[in-house]
Amino acid sequence: MPLIKARSHDADDDPVAPDTAGPADADTLLAAATASERRAAVHALEDSVDGQAALCRRLAIEPSASVREAILAALIRQRSPAIAAALLPLLRAEEAPLRNAAIEALAEMPDEVAPHVEALLADPDSDVRIFAGNMLGVLPHPRAAGWLLTALADEHVNVCAAAIDGLAEIGDPATAAALEAVPARFPGNSFIDFAVRVAVRRIGGC
Amino acid sequence: MTKPHVNGKRVLVVDDGMTTRLYYRDVLETAGFGVEEAVNGVEGLERALMGDFDLLIVDVNMPKMDGYEMIAQVRVDPALHEIPIITISTEAGERDADRAYAAGANLYMVKPADPALLTETAQMLTGVEMAR
Repeated sequence: MPLIKARSHDADDDPVAPDTAGPADADTLLAAATASERRAAVHALEDSVDGQAALCRRLAIEPSASVREAILAALIRQRSPAIAAALLPLLRAEEAPLRNAAIEALAEMPDEVAPHVEALLADPDSDVRIFAGNMLGVLPHPRAAGWLLTALADEHVNVCAAAIDGLAEIGDPATAAALEAVPARFPGNSFIDFAVRVAVRRIGGC
Repeated sequence: MTKPHVNGKRVLVVDDGMTTRLYYRDVLETAGFGVEEAVNGVEGLERALMGDFDLLIVDVNMPKMDGYEMIAQVRVDPALHEIPIITISTEAGERDADRAYAAGANLYMVKPADPALLTETAQMLTGVEMAR
């Protein structure tokens, strides 16, 4: 039998959360004992600015995958500059699920993320730059390929690799020359050599 | 071009990066492995359950289900729990390796994986006699 986690189907017994709540009330609602209560709180809170701030705080500590998914879906629906700014620090999270959830959510709010991209690509933490590269490969924004070219110039091999992968997905023939220049910066790195050849072939640059 | 010798072993590569998946496929097929791909942990688990794999190569950072979670679920599944797993991640810290081993990985490698090392490791973990 597959052991893929089954999703909860306990919405019927969800308690009803109040329509309005202040910041402290919102945090309390989101800390309810059961996952179904917390999912109900997510839906009750998502329309208010205070509620959205509480959802961002809760996302960093919420243990239930189904509640995290509900929070992310709500934040994506309510996308705003404040929500994007609150999600960006999660790219530094120790927990891979949280980081990946943040990447998925941020990729759904391109206009809100755009003002932060250059700072992400200049971050001193190479992991943050890698995650930014991963996000740009799926970010529906007209400047995404240009930002990936910036990442392509990064000195860290895995930032470059993320940029190559992103450009293989969204690049055009005009990016081929920049891609073809990368292997010379990492001599003997067979992965970079291979990835560039794949990317250039995919975007029709050869 | 010489057709690779087929060693009869099958590898499932689970990684959200297209060029990475193709690279591992190229390296492993050249060494004679049969290779299938999945793009995240959820698809990886589904493919693993449908196929008869001798080795899983699993990335850490993936959407929908990350590598740690996928490995943990493989290790508690009676049909899959004995399959050797190589985790390959961009993160080089000891903490990340410890976390992969705690989840049940047999080996942790840092990207970009050296092709000779990847081949030798895959051969070792699947019991393929290595070329001299």
